[in-house]
Amino acid sequence: MMTVERSDGRTAVALLVVVTLAAVGPSGRLAAQDSQLGIRGLGTPGKLESVRARSTGGAFAPFDAFSPLTDATLADVRRMSASVTSGVSWRSVDASGVESSLRGTRFPAMVIAGPVTRRIVVGGGFSTYLDRSFGVIIQDTVNLRGVPQAVTDEIRSDGAISDLRLAVGARLGSRLAVGVGLHRITGSTRVSARRSFADTANYRTTTAKDEVAYGATGGSASLMFDVTSDLRVAGWFRTDSRLRADVGGHTVSENDLPINYGAGIQWRAGAQASLAGNVTWRNWGAVQSIANAHDTFSWSLGAEIGSPAAPFRFGVRSGQLPFGVGKTPTEMGYSGGLGRQFAGGRGRLDIGLERLQRRGTGLTEGVWTFMLGLTVRP
Amino acid sequence: MTRRLGFLIFLVAAGGAIWACTEEATAPGSCPNYCPTDSIAIRDTIFTAIIERDTSFRGYVPSYGAEAMTAADLPGVIDSRAFFTTDTMFRRKAPNVGDTTTVPIFVDSSRVRFVIVRRPKSTTNLRLHLYRLPATTDTTSTFSSLDPAFTAAPVDSLNITDLLALPALTDTQTVRQWDSAWGVSASDSIRVDAAGNVLQFNHLDSTITLYFKLDSLQGTLSDADTGRIAWGVRVAADSLASIGIGTNATIANTPVMRWFYHYTIPDTVSATPDSVVYAAATLGTRFHNFVFTPPAAPVDSNLAVGGVPSARALLRVAMPAFLHDSIDVVRATLILVPVNAVQGVASDSFKIVAHHISTDLGAKSPLDPSDALIGTVFVHIGSPDTVRLEITNLVRQFALDSTLTTAFVLGQVPEAASYPEVRFYSSRAAAFRPGLHVTYVKRFRFGAP
Repeated sequence: MMTVERSDGRTAVALLVVVTLAAVGPSGRLAAQDSQLGIRGLGTPGKLESVRARSTGGAFAPFDAFSPLTDATLADVRRMSASVTSGVSWRSVDASGVESSLRGTRFPAMVIAGPVTRRIVVGGGFSTYLDRSFGVIIQDTVNLRGVPQAVTDEIRSDGAISDLRLAVGARLGSRLAVGVGLHRITGSTRVSARRSFADTANYRTTTAKDEVAYGATGGSASLMFDVTSDLRVAGWFRTDSRLRADVGGHTVSENDLPINYGAGIQWRAGAQASLAGNVTWRNWGAVQSIANAHDTFSWSLGAEIGSPAAPFRFGVRSGQLPFGVGKTPTEMGYSGGLGRQFAGGRGRLDIGLERLQRRGTGLTEGVWTFMLGLTVRP
Repeated sequence: MTRRLGFLIFLVAAGGAIWACTEEATAPGSCPNYCPTDSIAIRDTIFTAIIERDTSFRGYVPSYGAEAMTAADLPGVIDSRAFFTTDTMFRRKAPNVGDTTTVPIFVDSSRVRFVIVRRPKSTTNLRLHLYRLPATTDTTSTFSSLDPAFTAAPVDSLNITDLLALPALTDTQTVRQWDSAWGVSASDSIRVDAAGNVLQFNHLDSTITLYFKLDSLQGTLSDADTGRIAWGVRVAADSLASIGIGTNATIANTPVMRWFYHYTIPDTVSATPDSVVYAAATLGTRFHNFVFTPPAAPVDSNLAVGGVPSARALLRVAMPAFLHDSIDVVRATLILVPVNAVQGVASDSFKIVAHHISTDLGAKSPLDPSDALIGTVFVHIGSPDTVRLEITNLVRQFALDSTLTTAFVLGQVPEAASYPEVRFYSSRAAAFRPGLHVTYVKRFRFGAP
């Protein structure tokens, strides 16, 4: 007689390990969605969202304990839990008529949290703060020794700046939860600059390689308030120190990082539907060292419909990107996804698909991103 | 449960497959708006005082150690004559293996072979004259001491231009048989003049092999010299008479003499007549050399390269610190200003090699065995133009390895095979001193936004 055993937490933990290794192992990358719009700046800001939140356009991020956006939401974690987010994206770039297709695999966030007392939950993890993975090929002609020489430059950067977070969320009453977090911003990029000449008989190819290490610290605070049993609001604030870039042990640059603040609202419209939205500001314009840095504002709106065990999600987002010549670059996105609990609710798989359209002066980017997330509660 | 498990496996497999995809993050840059702030900056500088303590030395390779001999007759420029001596040839021979008695040999004829490794293609009426020299010629022989022999009547002459104009004998069997008899590399044709002199054209390297045919009066064995013979060669032409003759430094091109003789084996045990045996003996080069006038001028304050005996110039490079630290050299050219245009014929143009030295011991500095750290350039006869010698690999290595000896030697290739010599202004001549034209890329400013 065939017997069916009920899965326990070990299956979920094993799956988490497998997915984590699969994501980190081949690529060794902890990066978010990169963009050509981040090349001439500090990078492309990461999205501090789990797959669940990102499938709703980011609208549920302030209320999702596994999105590293707010700390107060950790107070809702009742058991030791962990979540990992990963994704692969296909990007098409149209730069003044020059089109190219790019592809990247990303592992943008991981959160692990658990209660230490009945009211206090400690959590941590990492997420992508700025992505600095790009490569550009530049064809040019330079005048050398009185003769025009065709040259090809290839400048590459591979890596990201990650945000390591240690946070505490506490419920101060039945309606109010607060949270604070300490952030260590760290990471590195492997960079190379290569110039080759069409005249290979006389000119040698030159290649410079190095590794840039980044470091900064930050702090965050947030609160979450239940206005009614169905209506919840949240607000958050974050500030960071200057971002230091070191090459070979020497500091080569220091740049301000923005203050980040925002607010969100979530409405539970019955047992099988929730709506949420949020707005975020970041004063990237304060980065004095970058000529074309802009303050950014973004908003998102999304819904989660269906049973908590297998919900359907969708959302829309719009916002601005911090670095770009002339007008502030914009970003518009649509997303949707599914979630599925397994192992008796000890684990959950989330999948999502996102379409982003970015526009800057003379440049358009279209991005399809497939996301996969796993959450376990051993 | 089974469906759930299948769903999970599907998702994990899909995820793994996607993660296994390769990255592609490089796109054509849309500059300057969407390119890195810094760019690869290239600089071009002529370092006029970077070459210092440069000097010349003569005497590395003598003319009798060269891989070629020059025969030239350029009035007002050079008169060069080549010669070689053969190995010993005995007049008696043991008729059979193991015999203790010997019989005399009788020379029927002989051939003298030369390989022309360099010749002017546009010369007309190019002739070679063969002279018999004293068998005692050696390293002490000079142009003047050999002049009486070289100004006597030639033993034989042949006209290379006329031979080349003759119809070629391309019969495979004949060509192969000739090649086999002389042990030479495959040639594609043979030409024979009325006197029996032969010309072979080697299609592999465009060399010409000449075989003088001498009768028994022209090629006579000298018992006093134990059969050694010295042959000298002069060249003549309507103009541009200058050729290079191979020596035993390259085995295939060495001058050779071949004796054709007969001897009789006496029959002492039967009534049959004595038998006559026809044979040949090939003799290699015992010594070779060439003499010329006017002789090479002694080295002076300029940088002499080439000539006979060969001269080399040693140049030391004072590398600025910034060339070591913060740049990447993409091209480096040594600039040398000749004192005068080199005289001669176009085919005497020669190659100069800049060769790194392992350690600086002045004239006796050993050359670096690495073939990578060299640069080459051709010096053209009659051209007073500035010589530009590409030494990019050398300077790149200087920049990368601060322990390397930053010096190199300029030498002619092949050395001492011909009379031309070039002289460049040294660092003593402030206006024309050697310079180094360096194109380099500055270190990219990584880490900046």
